[in-house]
Amino acid sequence: MSAVRWLVKCGAGALILLIACGFATARFGSGLQMPATTTRDGTLITLSRYLREPVPDIVLAGSSLTFRLKEEYFATPKLRNLALAGGSPITGLEIVANQPNLPRLILVEANVLNRPTDTALVERYSRGDTEPLFFRPVRAAVAAYEQRLHAPLTREQVALDLRRLIEQPPSDFDSRIYADRALEQFNAEDPADATRINMMRIEELIRRLEQRGARVLLFELPYSEPIEGSRFATTTRDVVHSAFPDPRRWLRMDTNRSELRWADGVHLDERSAVIVTQAMERALASVHATK
Amino acid sequence: MTFTSWQFGLFAATVFVAYYLPPLRAFQVQLLVFASLFFYGYGQPELLALLAVAVFGTYLFLVLALRNRKGWLPVGIAFNLALLAFFKYKLLFIDPASPSLVGFAPLDFLLKLPLPIGISFFVFHNISLLVDLTRQKASPPTLTDVFLYIIFFPQLVSGPITRAEMFMPQIKPKYFADIPLVEAAKWILVGFFFKLYVANNLNEMTSYMSFPLYETLQTQDRWLLVFLYSYQIYADFFGYSGIAIGLGLLFGYRLPINFNLPYISASFSEFWTRWHISLSTWLRTYLYIPLGGNRHGIWRTYLNLMIVMGLGGLWHGAGFGYLMWGLLHGLLLVLERPLLARLAAIDFAVFRAARMTVVFVCVTMLWIFFKLPNFEHAAGYLAGMFTPSTNPNPTKLFYSLALLYSLPVIIQHFAPSSLFEGRLRYVEPYLYGFMAALMYLEAGPETSFIYFQF
Repeated sequence: MSAVRWLVKCGAGALILLIACGFATARFGSGLQMPATTTRDGTLITLSRYLREPVPDIVLAGSSLTFRLKEEYFATPKLRNLALAGGSPITGLEIVANQPNLPRLILVEANVLNRPTDTALVERYSRGDTEPLFFRPVRAAVAAYEQRLHAPLTREQVALDLRRLIEQPPSDFDSRIYADRALEQFNAEDPADATRINMMRIEELIRRLEQRGARVLLFELPYSEPIEGSRFATTTRDVVHSAFPDPRRWLRMDTNRSELRWADGVHLDERSAVIVTQAMERALASVHATK
Repeated sequence: MTFTSWQFGLFAATVFVAYYLPPLRAFQVQLLVFASLFFYGYGQPELLALLAVAVFGTYLFLVLALRNRKGWLPVGIAFNLALLAFFKYKLLFIDPASPSLVGFAPLDFLLKLPLPIGISFFVFHNISLLVDLTRQKASPPTLTDVFLYIIFFPQLVSGPITRAEMFMPQIKPKYFADIPLVEAAKWILVGFFFKLYVANNLNEMTSYMSFPLYETLQTQDRWLLVFLYSYQIYADFFGYSGIAIGLGLLFGYRLPINFNLPYISASFSEFWTRWHISLSTWLRTYLYIPLGGNRHGIWRTYLNLMIVMGLGGLWHGAGFGYLMWGLLHGLLLVLERPLLARLAAIDFAVFRAARMTVVFVCVTMLWIFFKLPNFEHAAGYLAGMFTPSTNPNPTKLFYSLALLYSLPVIIQHFAPSSLFEGRLRYVEPYLYGFMAALMYLEAGPETSFIYFQF
């Protein structure tokens, strides 16, 4: 076989698969929930879904702390969690602010505000080109397989599972080694300068969003006791509260701290995340009532 | 500029077109040298000076050693080893973040330079050049030829480590009609496929092996990830070598094969004839044999094996983990050596499969020291493989995805080699086309080649 014939056949093989995937994408869209191999993958899926689906009533922007508050934990149906594990709450806030339509209420986590905005992600999701021309055939096949194996639970089934989880006693997982490591990091880092710069950007974004009719509230997720007293946590709290002293700007959540546990002193475990989610929903209800 | 970037595609295409233009045929070597310098200096122009020092220095010592081998060859080798030691192992003794290191500005500047990409590879090229050409008592090659041998861009960053006696005779005018186009296309396509589809996708999963993320894994997932990393590192380096060999062919140079299905090895010595072949050949030729090889009795042979493998480990990086990796491989070679003849006498398929499994599992476990060069982290990971996980919120891994991304490595190792020699020969070009499409559609997130760090 001559080299040219070989190369032509090779090109034809590539073209056949590309055309097949192009047709499949046009036919099925990207409706399949692709499996996420990393938390960032999961975030991108959530961001794509946010742009594709109707604008929700409530949006959460946060870091890995808020990432733990899964959307299915909330009874509020039209809620999206755009928290970025390893990222900054401002990234999610920027993406929301750059959309033509806004949610009614935006909740911004105020625990970790020293990280820079992910400008590449903001640009990508602000342009709206989140739908690929071709879907990924292997991931799509795995997604179909996973959906076949694990059909999505109904709201009632989820509620039942969450109730069972809450009824269990708090976890006795010994996280001391991780908490000590986290405390060391939280005491080593001074977030003041970076947080001040980011606060200015948040103030500007809040002004823009509220001019367009959305309401923005800040919230703080609880840390374990030693981490609450760390240099990072106290400095961040001082900077944020001096920038936003008005209590009406804050969503106050009332939780029983003795019920809460952390995987590493910083991130809530699953049961605690559900408890905090419920506290958040109660706080939201009172916000609506006082409006 | 990495092989997987569009900038590299543009660069390679431009150089390829210019290379075969008839008016430029007389300057092919100069063109490749210039292109290689551009390639190397693209991201780190400040390191071009170092490359120049390495090449000019080696050339000078080569000319001197051709006149007096005994006197100048050791100096030339020492010069290259000193370069490697300075840049690679300085971090064992200094903290580059410190504002002033020795208080002498020029030395501080040198100490703060980053690790030059590919230094481990081009230093080995230099030594090979000095040893091979002075052994042959050849007349000194031109400086341009020496430059091309050392910095030829497909092999500059991560090999294959080409021996001078194999490369230098290939330097002559090249013609477009002589290019083995299909062979080059196959190497390049399979190389990119293994890197983009296998290695980059598996890298997403094996990122959980990093400290402290591995603490979130279930025990069985720690085992799974070690095996996935074994496939990933193979796909990554085999992919790089494949692309390098294919590019070499496009420019008329045949680089050595670097991998030959290493995971079907039935002994550790066989593994080292199949894994990173150009490095093991280099170590055997320029270190093991000069140390005496197996010519001075059994204990000296064992000692030589341990020295070679220990230094081979340290060649990868300045860390106790790399040294451990090398020494443990050395130990495995020593332990199996007295048994090899008896094991080879048992010609039984199941027994050979069992031997392959043992070798694969041992080699795979030792990759932990590569993934986690910090010895404490590696030890922590290993310990976690044998203790039940108590984390209430473990990381979820998709086993089906892991299998599908690993499948090309498994198929490559276990599919009969005669598959494409019979009737399936006609579907071969289409399969390569499918691979090309799949690596575009299903490419994992961009990550640099693992061996770039060495």
